[in-house]
Amino acid sequence: MNFLLDGRLSLTTPEGVRLQLVPAGPVVRAYAWAIDAIAWGTASSVLIGMLGVLIPSEKMFSGVAAVLYFLAYWSYPVFCEIYAGGRTLGKRAVGLQVLRADGLPVRWRESVLRNLLLVADFLPLFYASGLVSMLCDRHFRRLGDIVAGTQVVYRDKPPKRVEVPNAAPLPLPFPLTAEQQRALADLFARENRLPHGRMLELADIAAPLTGREGEASLERLRGMAAGLVR
Amino acid sequence: MKQAQFEAAYTPLWNEIDTLLGKRAEGREALPEQYRRLCQCLALASQRGYSPQLVTYLHGLVARCHHALYGVAAERPAVLLQWLRVDLPCRVRAEWKLLLVVLLCLLGPAIAIGVLVWHDAHNAFMFASPQELTHMHQMYAPSSFKTGRGGSEGDLQMFGHYIWNNVSIGFRTFASGIFGGVPALVSVLFNGMKMGVVAAWLSLDPATRSNFWSFVVTHSSFELAGLVLSGLAGLRLGLALVKPGRLSRRRALQEASVQMYPVVAGAALLTVLAAFFEAFWSASAFAPAVKYSVGAVCWALVFLFFGFAGRGKGAHATR
Repeated sequence: MNFLLDGRLSLTTPEGVRLQLVPAGPVVRAYAWAIDAIAWGTASSVLIGMLGVLIPSEKMFSGVAAVLYFLAYWSYPVFCEIYAGGRTLGKRAVGLQVLRADGLPVRWRESVLRNLLLVADFLPLFYASGLVSMLCDRHFRRLGDIVAGTQVVYRDKPPKRVEVPNAAPLPLPFPLTAEQQRALADLFARENRLPHGRMLELADIAAPLTGREGEASLERLRGMAAGLVR
Repeated sequence: MKQAQFEAAYTPLWNEIDTLLGKRAEGREALPEQYRRLCQCLALASQRGYSPQLVTYLHGLVARCHHALYGVAAERPAVLLQWLRVDLPCRVRAEWKLLLVVLLCLLGPAIAIGVLVWHDAHNAFMFASPQELTHMHQMYAPSSFKTGRGGSEGDLQMFGHYIWNNVSIGFRTFASGIFGGVPALVSVLFNGMKMGVVAAWLSLDPATRSNFWSFVVTHSSFELAGLVLSGLAGLRLGLALVKPGRLSRRRALQEASVQMYPVVAGAALLTVLAAFFEAFWSASAFAPAVKYSVGAVCWALVFLFFGFAGRGKGAHATR
């Protein structure tokens, strides 16, 4: 398989499997942060409103509210990262997750440190240090990520298996390389996301393989793709 | 082997792994063996040029297994106790030079300003606004200084306030230390300065002297220890950036944060303890003599703990 020159991080597991992580940049992380901020603000004001009804005494209410506010403020991201697979609500919505540098889930120490250092990332003004750090770092890590040894990456959706093309299998007129076979199989797996006109164009390009053009070429291609599988 | 045959032969295995991954960690005894077979499937599928969708599917399954198998942390139920009894005091003692620097930053300005104000009360206005000083004076004046704050509700209010305020200050002191340690030291210096002004100003007036000192003597032991530890941890983090030694800066930062993690946790716990004493004990109606003796015991405990706890117990055992 060819490995393209892209921004992905390649980690090799002890079994020799290559896992590839895509680091998330500042913009998408800012979206996640904004969603978190809104969710956090709403949840805490609702909670505090409910507390206000439950605890009539003014002084007691402000004491309990301050303790809860403290816990929620500092521990919300930590609990999310440890018990929800490295994802706060915002990261879940945007499709990100926090992982350690070795690609494994974060634990208490990493999570606590990276979220404490959020204060340093905020300085001197609205996450300026964090932004500079992310722009200078190869993996878009903010200061907290560097200190804790973590990174924020895109989370792949669990892949679905696709049905093979429904056609009578045809033999190939001449052998194809593994790469070419893969391209053929991939084309029909993505068929429902491509317009029909585009499929016909691609089938025209494959004329040396099928010896036909247009609709007929597409049908032969479909048969060959089925033949690869069955 | 054609792809369809391959899939038919191995789909039961893949489905079984998929259900195992959905379970809790206890039911996964069979996973390591099945994971090895799955890795072999992936190798075969990519080597034989099966469709990219199949390879991607297997790859995703392998990644999930990898997380499930290698990502579990060993259970260490006693780790918090081990930190508090051994790691925290040992690591603080190991950084005794930095500890001296932080103490100097806290006590230096406090004592210097205290002496200045004591010498000439007007000097206080150089460091604090008149309104602030009047407010402080009123708080501890016999006319308004109530022992007890009107029952447990007022105590609880102050407890919440102290927790939110003081522990957050500790965390911020540590985190901002990453910028060469300077902000952490500034935070400590600033607190020392304020402490010196207020203490000297309130000691000048015999009416507030006893009220003030009996109020602060107990909780100040834990609170100042917490502040000093936060400053120490922040300074250590900053020094890792300024003077990384033979490590790369990144690596030095990570090492320093691992070393200082129990110290930060200890600082937070001490500050919570201080908030507890400040809210529920310091304003209680006991006689000053009782408060001074309890304060002396607390101070002695702090010194004994950081001087002797965890000696000879194999330091730095946990990470």
